[in-house]
Amino acid sequence: MSIANTSFLRAAWTVYCKEITDALRDRRTLIVVLLSSVMLGPLVLIALSSFIASFEARAEKREVVVMHMERAPSLKNYFERQTYTVKTAPADFEMQLRKSRLGDPVVVIPEDFEDSVLRGEAPVVEVVSDSANKQAEGGSHRIQRLLSGFSRERATLNLAVRGVSAELLEPMQVEERDLASTQTRATQITGMLPFFVLMAVLYGALNAALDTTAGERERGSLEPLLMNPAERAALVLGKWGAVACLSMLIAVLSCFSFLPAQWLLQSDTLQAMFQFGLREALLFLAVLLPFAAALSAVLMAVAIRCRTFKEAQANSTVVILGVSLLPLFTVFNEGGEAGWHLMVPALAQNTLMTRVLKGEGFGMEQVLVPIAVCAVLTAMGVWFVARMLRAAAVR
Amino acid sequence: MITIDSLAKNFLAPSTTKRGLSFRRSAPHVVKAVQQVSFSAPNGRITGLLGPNGAGKTTTLRMLAGLITPDAGSMSVDGIDVVSRPREALARMGVLSDARGLYPRLSARENIVYYGMLQGMEREAAHARAEALAQMLEMKALLERRTDGFSQGERMKTALARALVHDPANIVLDEPTNGLDVLATRALRDALRFLRTPEGGGKCIVFSTHIMQEVERLCDSVVVVSHGRTVASGTVGELLAQTGEEDFEEAFVELAFAEEFKQARAAGAAA
Repeated sequence: MSIANTSFLRAAWTVYCKEITDALRDRRTLIVVLLSSVMLGPLVLIALSSFIASFEARAEKREVVVMHMERAPSLKNYFERQTYTVKTAPADFEMQLRKSRLGDPVVVIPEDFEDSVLRGEAPVVEVVSDSANKQAEGGSHRIQRLLSGFSRERATLNLAVRGVSAELLEPMQVEERDLASTQTRATQITGMLPFFVLMAVLYGALNAALDTTAGERERGSLEPLLMNPAERAALVLGKWGAVACLSMLIAVLSCFSFLPAQWLLQSDTLQAMFQFGLREALLFLAVLLPFAAALSAVLMAVAIRCRTFKEAQANSTVVILGVSLLPLFTVFNEGGEAGWHLMVPALAQNTLMTRVLKGEGFGMEQVLVPIAVCAVLTAMGVWFVARMLRAAAVR
Repeated sequence: MITIDSLAKNFLAPSTTKRGLSFRRSAPHVVKAVQQVSFSAPNGRITGLLGPNGAGKTTTLRMLAGLITPDAGSMSVDGIDVVSRPREALARMGVLSDARGLYPRLSARENIVYYGMLQGMEREAAHARAEALAQMLEMKALLERRTDGFSQGERMKTALARALVHDPANIVLDEPTNGLDVLATRALRDALRFLRTPEGGGKCIVFSTHIMQEVERLCDSVVVVSHGRTVASGTVGELLAQTGEEDFEEAFVELAFAEEFKQARAAGAAA
């Protein structure tokens, strides 16, 4: 290696070490980034899993809330034979349902229920729910099925007394087979994970990228820095390396934070759906590390044009918006994956990570496209910062 | 030894007179920051670059530090051309620029050592040098403190130590006494006088200022810059003799604002 090369690398390494030290000493920012980006994904996952678990628990819970149960002993008998527990509704159940304090629909029995049934007058039994109350609304179908079961039983008995076969009433049988329910919900939640991870990588890079460029300008330390005989490209490479490393560190932490998080999942369905092991974490990183490198360079390129940290923050909103909006393409676009998706940064990473979560994985040729795109972006960003550095120092 | 010959630099400033929401840009006007600056600063002497605000001192020193490429003229440091070999020239210079931002999360020592290593020094050598400079600039107590919360004088000392870490033969200071109190200014003056002596290394020191007393007390020779031109140079005594004034301030005003006086006199004569 020639002398010029060693001095280039030495300068880049010196800058790299200094920027890493500097960033790691910014404890407060570091803690905020760690809490908000690394912890957020797992926390949301756990919160949603307990939400789903409560749904599941309610579905399994065999309870029916009734007003005036004493008016219908035969119905009570039916409920109990179906192993349901009868609960008496509170007096102000309508108010409670409206305010979502009561999570079950309420069955209201009319007066003279038993006599009316005997006379064949078909009394009206109300199932009171509130369509704005999601929990009660969810249980409403279950209660209606239960009640129609009672009607069918009475009808069958009446027919049997008259010697008519019950099958005449049911010329065909309908059976429900649900493919979605909790599974769909689980995919909706795991589908959010790539987004959280992308945001973590972004916020990992953001502060350091702004501090090493616009921050340096604002402090007035860029001008003296350039009065050292080190090459500008070496200075920029050192800075970029430090920013990219921090972003990658956050990427690694956030990917591996899902490993312990899934032990805490309360919902069995979600646990079955969310298969995130070491292999998945490593595949995530294969996608994310090049992205972190590119994102760091792009953020630095945006920030070097700004005189102050604040101005840089305002300008970097464009990048943040891009990273958060581009993955939405897959949500709105029902046409499924297209080839060009892999060419768009953020969208490509999102697509590949979603595939990993679905258990599909991806091939070498699919991951090479986004890596190439990231490499080009990185080179362009670093080149731009190096080009702008001298002009930025004096203005 | 620093030599500057017929240096010139124009800037394009965007026109400020914009009418309404016009998207058409009016033609930028040319600001002649530096037109004809020449001087030579020998080793073992302190050369003062004296001029009013906006005379082109900072632009000249920025060109010398390779931050701005001049439109015309030449600069050399110990015979090395700044424009064609900027990094070699920078290695022979310690520049304390107008902007002297420090890294607030690093200690004074780390700030100094960082620059030493960027100058190509070994880590141990840079640490040793930081301690020697702290001794000279009387800032030993500051060395391990983070620079966040430093006073103006403490910042200035740290920035100066940072600029001198590689023991350069040429020292360039842009308005070093700005914002310093009397004691800090005195300490700086003593340090510069020491650096000029053979024991201090016989450095070539160039410093820009707009303060007369600085020049009178410190400088071996003075270069008066006004409107981007060198208008006079020599020792304080020579300049006094040239203008026939007793007071250096009067002499400076006459030299630096000669054009304005001429115009004022012409206007007075016309009236």
